[in-house]
Amino acid sequence: MTLNAGSEVIRCTDVVKRFGDFLALDHVSTSVHAGEVVCVIGPSGSGKSTLLRTMNGLETIDSGEIDILNHRLPGPRRELETIRRRVGMVFQNFNLFNHMSVRDNLVLAPMSARKTPRAEADASAEKLLARVGIAEQIDKYPAQLSGGQQQRVAIARALAMQPEIMLFDEPTSALDPEMVNEVLDVMRDLARAGMTMVVVTHEMGFAREVGDRILFMADGQLLVDAPPETFFTAPSDERQKTFLSKVL
Amino acid sequence: MTFDLNALQADYPLLFEGLLVTLRIVGYSIVFGAIGSVVLCMGKLSGKGPGYRVAVFIIDFFRTIPEVVLIFWVYSCLPLLFGLRMSAEVSGVVALSLFVAANVAEILRAGILSTDRGQLEAAFSLGTPVTTIWRRIVLPPALRRMLPNFVNFLTELLKASSLLSTIGVAEMVYQATVLGNETFAYLEFLTAVAVLYFLLIFPLSLYVRYAEGRHTKRISR
Amino acid sequence: MGLFDELIEASGGRYIRAGLTMLLVGAVVLGLLSVNWPIVKGLDFAVLWQFRWALLQGLVMTLLLTAAAAACGIFFGTLLAILTQVPFAPARWFAIGYVELFRNTPILVQVLWIHFALPLVSGVNTSAVVSGVIAIVLQASAYFGEIVRSGIRAVPPGYWEASDALGIPRTTRWRRVVLPPAFRIMIPPFVNMTISFFKASAILTVLQVGELMTVSTRIANAVFKPIEILTVAALIYFVFGYAISQSTHWLERSLAKREGR
Repeated sequence: MTLNAGSEVIRCTDVVKRFGDFLALDHVSTSVHAGEVVCVIGPSGSGKSTLLRTMNGLETIDSGEIDILNHRLPGPRRELETIRRRVGMVFQNFNLFNHMSVRDNLVLAPMSARKTPRAEADASAEKLLARVGIAEQIDKYPAQLSGGQQQRVAIARALAMQPEIMLFDEPTSALDPEMVNEVLDVMRDLARAGMTMVVVTHEMGFAREVGDRILFMADGQLLVDAPPETFFTAPSDERQKTFLSKVL
Repeated sequence: MTFDLNALQADYPLLFEGLLVTLRIVGYSIVFGAIGSVVLCMGKLSGKGPGYRVAVFIIDFFRTIPEVVLIFWVYSCLPLLFGLRMSAEVSGVVALSLFVAANVAEILRAGILSTDRGQLEAAFSLGTPVTTIWRRIVLPPALRRMLPNFVNFLTELLKASSLLSTIGVAEMVYQATVLGNETFAYLEFLTAVAVLYFLLIFPLSLYVRYAEGRHTKRISR
Repeated sequence: MGLFDELIEASGGRYIRAGLTMLLVGAVVLGLLSVNWPIVKGLDFAVLWQFRWALLQGLVMTLLLTAAAAACGIFFGTLLAILTQVPFAPARWFAIGYVELFRNTPILVQVLWIHFALPLVSGVNTSAVVSGVIAIVLQASAYFGEIVRSGIRAVPPGYWEASDALGIPRTTRWRRVVLPPAFRIMIPPFVNMTISFFKASAILTVLQVGELMTVSTRIANAVFKPIEILTVAALIYFVFGYAISQSTHWLERSLAKREGR
């Protein structure tokens, strides 16, 4: 399924999320268009992961509206399940199913949710693993792989559902430094292939190079929404300046 | 007084009959208790409503009262209350089934709830159907994690089954005390019974220790 | 809403709840239909009031036995646990053998052995109460010892290395460095074990040592009112056992507060 380039696929309007007394999302509004790569950056605890997790209903919201692929969240359970099948997610800690082989990690959701026949799911799994560069690991278990390889499996697993949008929640933060690039390379290829991506990340170089837009968040607020060049060369917000002075 | 093995020679078949009774009762209680435990566990996991509250109470109640009290209650009150006739062995199976149901329900619940949040997040974010989540992602690792707890509880159950001798079920301890009373060879029969229990329970304990040791090692890494 | 709540609701939580409620109603109806009404109408709970002092005495005895098991268990258990760590091998073997022997046989068998078989070996006859106390203390030492042993193993190896590096004397190391954090870890298992011995004290009824279960069965047999007496006895056991189990939360919280967390 392809989306019309440029059509709006995610819209968040006045989203508020509280954890007890803590205001995690403070009236956040933004939208993402098909084919865009949006990078969300900001200090830890700024609400960027929470925002990402509201986009496939892993986190419910207290007020505001979230529309994904023309569906309002949270909708009825069936609809939520359908939306989640069209939105892939990659986690900081991979969250691979450790008791299953790499192959089973990849074919489980297509076979059970889409009723894809075994042979077809297998073939697609092999193709996807080749695409992320680890075709030879298909019969291993997650624990036998390095962190970078595990995260590439996780990306392939999400892609196996042929999602229209990919959400990345700090995909390289749990990796040893020498493995960061192999994962970023895979993400770069995805972006080049035209995937719509929302990426929460601390990798400024990646954001600058691959991102179409940078969102900067602090204290639950969305403070800046700018193209990378403007964002990194002409900071407009005080907290943005402080943050950039620390990370650059 | 010395330990006289000859005292055992004539009567040891009775001890083995007692052993068979012990194993039979434990087997039946596991089967009936397992069924009850699944219902109780579902009740407690369901989180609210009358079924939840009753399940929580039943689990707490039968885990907290002493097994002897439970056994005596089932043996002497249940038949009166419902006008039934129950043999001591049936009473024993009923009492131990309640004991198993409450404890295994708690093991099941704790095991299921110890599922890593990340696994659920991943499963949800792929839009995996609920039945597949239970069948492939939650239950297999949870049951594997619970195995040492099940075996540990089995040792408790074997030990608790000895209490059925107090209502006259002809299991191992009962046979030993009867034989002891007849022959005054208490030392020999009680020691023999202790040895039999040890042989039954110790291998299970060793497995539990081995499995838990492996588990802590995995956590500390 | 947590992920597990979402899973439960998505698994048809509503229908499960409805089903369980129906099951419950069915069980109650079946119970009411099959219950022996003449017996129920004849129930006379006044008998409990009549024997209130005897029951209270039994309860006190039960609580004393529990306290003895916990206190002696923790004391001797700690000694046993330290024995498992000493360099002298026979002492280690003794401690390990003792713990395994008592943990892997039923307490009923131990009680009977100590009361009926031990006098044949030792030549000393012990009264029921003495046998009962000996049995429950011996078993408590083994079980509490096992808890202390794994608690000590849970102390980070860095603590041992640091106290070696600082040249702290052996007894100070045990008293100040190793045991305090170990005991902190052990509080929940200690409370659970205390409940186990609260329950186990009822087993001593086979020797008629005068704890709550002995008193209850005696009264029940004397006046032939087992339903009234045994049901209430079970409820008393439940209330006290539940209270002990809840104390673990309170203990943990007050300890956490003291450590400034």
